[in-house]
Amino acid sequence: MPDELRTTPEGLMASLRERAKELNCLYHVEGALRKRETAPNEVYREVLEALPPGWQYSDICVARLTIEGKTLSSPGFEPSEWVLRADIMVQDTAVGTLEVFYTEKRPRENEGPFLRDEVRLINTIAGLIGHHILRQRLQSIQKDWETLQSQGGVSASEIWRSPLHLLRESDRGLYLRIAHKMLNYLCRIGVSGAQQMLTGETDSLDSEEEVIGEINVPACRFAQDPDYLMSDAPFELASKHLSQTEILGRVQSWMQEDKALGFLRILNNPRSPLPEIVDAMRRFQHGIPNKHILRSSTLKTLRVSLAQRLLTEQIDFVRIAKENMEIEDFYELTGRMVIPAGSHGRLGGKSAGMLLAHRILGRTVDAEQIVGDIKLPKTWYLPSDGILDFIGHNDLQEVIEQKFKETYEVRQEYPDIIRLFKNSTFPPRILNGLSVALDDFADSPLIVRSSSLLEDRLGTAFSGKYKSLFVANQGTKAERLEALADAIAEVYASTFGPDPIEYRRERGLLEFNEEMGIMIQEVVGMKVGKYFFPAFAGVAFSNSEFRWSPRIQREDGLARLVPGIGTRAVDRVADDYPVLLVPGKPNLRVNVAVDEIARYSPKWIDVINLESGTLETKSITDLLKDVGSGFPGFDKVFSLLEEGMLGKAPPRVMFDAEKHELVATFDGLAKTTQFIEHLNNILNILEERLGSPVDIEFAHDGTDFYLLQCRPQSQSDDSGPAPIPKDVDGSDIVFTADRYVSNGWIPDITNIVYVDPERYGRLGSREEMLSVARAVGKLNRLLPTKRFILLGPGRWGSRGDVKLGVSVTYADISNTAMLIEIAKKKGDYVPDLSFGTHFFQDLVESRIRYLPLYPDEEDVIFNERFLLGADNLLPGMVPDFAHLADVIRVIDVPANADGRLLRVLLNADLGEALALFVDPDEDSEQPQPVQKAVSHKPMQYWQWRLRMAERIAAALDPDRFGTVAIYVFGSTKNATAGPESDIDLLIHTRGTDAQDRELASWLEGWGRCLSEMNYLQTGYRTENLLDVHVITDEDIANQTSYASKIGAVTDAARELPLGKP
Amino acid sequence: MASNGTYNAYDMARAQFDSIADVIDLDEGARAFLRTPMREYHFTIPVRMDDGTVQVFAGFRVQHNDARGPCKGGIRFHPQETIDTVRALSMWMTWKCAVVDIPLGGGKGGVICDPHNLSMREQEAICRGFIRQLARNIGPVADVPAPDVMTSPQHMLWMMDEYEKIHGGHFPGAITGKPVGMGGSLGRTQATGYGVIYTLREALKELSIRPSDTIASVQGFGNVAQYAIELYHQIGGTTISVSCWDQKEQCANVFRKKDGIDLAELRGITDRFGGIDQAKARDLGYEVLPGDAWIDQDVDILIPSALENSITAENVEKMSKRVKIIAEGANGPTTPEADKAIHARGIHMIPDFLANAGGVTCSYFEQVQSNMNYFWEMDEVLGKLDVKMTAAYVAVSELAGKQSIYMRDAAYVVSINRVAEACRARGWI
Repeated sequence: MPDELRTTPEGLMASLRERAKELNCLYHVEGALRKRETAPNEVYREVLEALPPGWQYSDICVARLTIEGKTLSSPGFEPSEWVLRADIMVQDTAVGTLEVFYTEKRPRENEGPFLRDEVRLINTIAGLIGHHILRQRLQSIQKDWETLQSQGGVSASEIWRSPLHLLRESDRGLYLRIAHKMLNYLCRIGVSGAQQMLTGETDSLDSEEEVIGEINVPACRFAQDPDYLMSDAPFELASKHLSQTEILGRVQSWMQEDKALGFLRILNNPRSPLPEIVDAMRRFQHGIPNKHILRSSTLKTLRVSLAQRLLTEQIDFVRIAKENMEIEDFYELTGRMVIPAGSHGRLGGKSAGMLLAHRILGRTVDAEQIVGDIKLPKTWYLPSDGILDFIGHNDLQEVIEQKFKETYEVRQEYPDIIRLFKNSTFPPRILNGLSVALDDFADSPLIVRSSSLLEDRLGTAFSGKYKSLFVANQGTKAERLEALADAIAEVYASTFGPDPIEYRRERGLLEFNEEMGIMIQEVVGMKVGKYFFPAFAGVAFSNSEFRWSPRIQREDGLARLVPGIGTRAVDRVADDYPVLLVPGKPNLRVNVAVDEIARYSPKWIDVINLESGTLETKSITDLLKDVGSGFPGFDKVFSLLEEGMLGKAPPRVMFDAEKHELVATFDGLAKTTQFIEHLNNILNILEERLGSPVDIEFAHDGTDFYLLQCRPQSQSDDSGPAPIPKDVDGSDIVFTADRYVSNGWIPDITNIVYVDPERYGRLGSREEMLSVARAVGKLNRLLPTKRFILLGPGRWGSRGDVKLGVSVTYADISNTAMLIEIAKKKGDYVPDLSFGTHFFQDLVESRIRYLPLYPDEEDVIFNERFLLGADNLLPGMVPDFAHLADVIRVIDVPANADGRLLRVLLNADLGEALALFVDPDEDSEQPQPVQKAVSHKPMQYWQWRLRMAERIAAALDPDRFGTVAIYVFGSTKNATAGPESDIDLLIHTRGTDAQDRELASWLEGWGRCLSEMNYLQTGYRTENLLDVHVITDEDIANQTSYASKIGAVTDAARELPLGKP
Repeated sequence: MASNGTYNAYDMARAQFDSIADVIDLDEGARAFLRTPMREYHFTIPVRMDDGTVQVFAGFRVQHNDARGPCKGGIRFHPQETIDTVRALSMWMTWKCAVVDIPLGGGKGGVICDPHNLSMREQEAICRGFIRQLARNIGPVADVPAPDVMTSPQHMLWMMDEYEKIHGGHFPGAITGKPVGMGGSLGRTQATGYGVIYTLREALKELSIRPSDTIASVQGFGNVAQYAIELYHQIGGTTISVSCWDQKEQCANVFRKKDGIDLAELRGITDRFGGIDQAKARDLGYEVLPGDAWIDQDVDILIPSALENSITAENVEKMSKRVKIIAEGANGPTTPEADKAIHARGIHMIPDFLANAGGVTCSYFEQVQSNMNYFWEMDEVLGKLDVKMTAAYVAVSELAGKQSIYMRDAAYVVSINRVAEACRARGWI
């Protein structure tokens, strides 16, 4: 239609008239096709008659239909050059053509003289005819089947025929695949003839040889004859060997499998976006209600692909998910996803960990008995690339560079980024999704949690580095949506905060493309009055690095419990204490005396105030006055303190908040429920199934246990007890300790940073105290990594009250080898230590040792004279902080201890620690601790190499080869060997040429064997793992060649015992 | 006092005894007898641990002297427990009971163990094992244990139960420190604080000062301080300042109201550990001063009832000229140097040993009530406490006045002399 016509009322009317004509035409065509009883030719004739009135120049319009070889045309038909044509397709195969002609020339329109709408019209009609034909075919098959049945004439061997014909007519592609499968199957069960059918060869023996072919020559490709497969032949053959039920059963399961493969194709296509995957999954889910008929390999493949696309690409995780998650689990998940347009994101570590753990526990045998009924709070997920959408939508791409800036810049700019993010808008699609989620949540309070791709990976704990935010979710829908979006923006912004970036830098993860998934989760709890909170919540670790009694083993784990919302258990708070429980030894408690228990019990509780819409910290006493014994889990959480005794909480009806003094002890929970037993089992099962120690977060609403998070807990592997020498001269000792000692060995400390507790306490202002933290942060970057230790007063990392300890963040201490807290008496009061809890996991991850010192105790040495008397490097190293020189002392150990280094020995079994000066050339290899548990990790490369070198030396017969000595040096000796490092050996010989040759060949045998062993262990191929350097007396005399390695100052070669097996 | 370089409590207790023995001219035989405990029990307590293994704990009970009545003293659970510590403490118990003139001797016991390593069940097993080993050597008429370091009323109930099982009857008087309703006495919470004021009241009487004309500064705001203030206000006194530890700030603060603190009001903003809410106190019109300001207030009376070594050579000079009496509610609040300065200034000292003996007196009442199986009302307990404390004070003060000796020394003289007399009367020495 010419454009100018559209502008006038006449034009508009003309256009509407054309539209009416088309609709009319369609209406007639559909009417004709719907007449079931009419003979096909009649139907087509009617269709042809209905066509011309639908066209603009209907008076000169004729039509022709060619179908399955027959041709029909409208009255007065005559072909011309002005034609519009459409193929009629049935099952992707053209079965005919529909043509419309103008018998005379007309003005040019979109497609010759034809309008664009007319092109669409003819295509629509061709499509209708195609469907009609297919329906006819299927009906006739059906009818034949019914006739045969009604006549009772279907022979048992023929039952398969009609359904398969139906399939062939309705989906040729599928029929082909199924026929092929049937032949394959027949081959497999050894039906003669099937092989020929499959390969098209007559002589099966020959063909087999052909198939195998020569190595390195591609096998022949056999052209398959589709016509042959499309015939009934494969099934005719099958019906001779298989029962009808079996044929139909197999066909049905192959059809299902085929659907599954379609799903898999979409899943495995890296380009298919999430919405397409979700859609395919929905079809799969409804199309195959009974998954058991699918092969287990198919199901596994699907589960693996789903885990990879939806959850995480971490291979370990996927492997475990494959065994524990069902397709239903994934499907259920998709119902609660907010999917950004074209998303390729995943749910991220935290979500994945939670879901997997829940499934593992749910599938435990006798789960109810062993671990109890474990629930997940209702959760909606926003995939990880939502943040990219958000950044793109608001043109914030610049923030991606943050991670490559200097830490101080990152820190400076972070507040602006938060502001910027919170002032940005969300793409409409995400906003819509969030709106749907909110309808699902109604007005339950929510928590928005980060679930980034990096988070929760093995060996990296971003604990507390990304934000989690509570949203009260009260008010109008618009208000609730705004608050939710605001919280998500803030969590997004935390991706660009200084702490996570520093953490990633240290671990070489900066280049990883971090994306941030979001979990929007219902807060577990109950509404009590105007407050909302759970009975209690907490975190639990399957391996405890915090043991206050030698009776507690690492494997006994540790739980931190608080009443109310778990923030106070997860985050460390300066002025309050969570209740610590050891799931494996529930009867051993940190605090024993009644007043001690009362003093170190939680005094504060985090609750959501539904009226003000905020997260509030309230005193437990005040809250109990408000809510009384309506506190969920009242008698599980609290004990009654009366007459110096802690007893069972009073019965709810007798509780009087004014009179009764309650202490949160969780004694009721421990004594009257299976909670701790279950918790212990949960931790053990998860540790076993996930193959590494775990930590979990949970909440309990008084009735049900909710799992909130599960992730691998990192652990250090140099945890063996170090032997403590008894014959050390007192002047060689810097300090000793006998409380809360863990196991370990910290060699070669060159520097000590000592914050003098007394002088720190005397600093006049908060500002000065904070500047001590900044100075420590700067020293942390300047001093040699893991070669210095930090000693300071009270609680390192204290946040609220900086008098308690130096207010460092993890970034400020990340390079230290050891963090030492000094509890010096103030009057008769010994300050509380943090025991490293401010950055518990970080310390473990970074293998930063923790040790508390109690210098005022008897039998403890604290060499203050050395610490205060040594030269202080501080003014020279950080001139900005020179004024703090009397508070912070930076000591160069060798310069002040006659060239010696400091070594710290820790032995938890003896409960002793010792820091002493040692000569630098003293053997610094860690003595091999007794292997206690089977290690999950492969043995460290250098250890294996060293052991092998020792074996060689032991096996070497000095007399036979004329060998004087054998040494090891390089990466094996320095404990830095990687999987492809070789073993450097130095052999001092006085042998004859013949002996030398014999030795060389003897060693070559060793080298080759070791190469093979190394390959099997690591997958790295090397020609010869031994790198042998032979030296003579002359070399040694002249210090030529590798002889200089013997007795060298750096990297000296180490002699191995020769010929002593 | 120091042997092989480390501090030994037993040596110190004996040295203190020797110096008093000189004052009362005690003969050699009596000295030798009183310097050493009469009986010591050393025994082992095998305990089946939660993990099925058996662990053996070492226990002690020392009965220093029972000339005046059954021994009395606590049981300590402590990993670094030594027999010498227990000996010293048992000796101190003898003097303490004697100074308030209650018919009891001195004892002490202990088990070498760290309750942090023990479950409650295992602790119960230790308590019962302890009693099984001693059942024939203790009891209402022989030796009466009580709670001490790391032991609680719960431990006492387990011990009482075991004792009763062995002897086949009810013997609540075998143990003290039990909860009310389980053989405990009313008034225990008040006893120490009230006791301090009973002695203070008598001192004021002696000095002819009307309580209503006095003002006081109190160090601490725990149990002892709160009840001392309560009774002091009842007899007409005015407290202008109290101090307490601030857990959050990790420092002590003094709360002052120059026209007198309102006890009920302050208790309302105090947590169970005696910590006063600073902000709320300011709102109520209290000045918040540094923690050491309690000592330099311009008052008539100082009541240190918080920590050891609070009055030192350094701060003793800050004391106002107005101060007339110091009543030691806490144990050992005055260092020896400061004590000399106080003595020199002529300030009337009511020593800890006498002033805070209300606690042990109430334990004695518990024992008496338990033996009768008849329990008094609160006012009866407090009334009897008043009588005992008053008599004790008067005896010490009279001696001090007559002989012009310092109150602290007079208290020891009175008590050691009473014990020596009892031994002589029995014909032991």
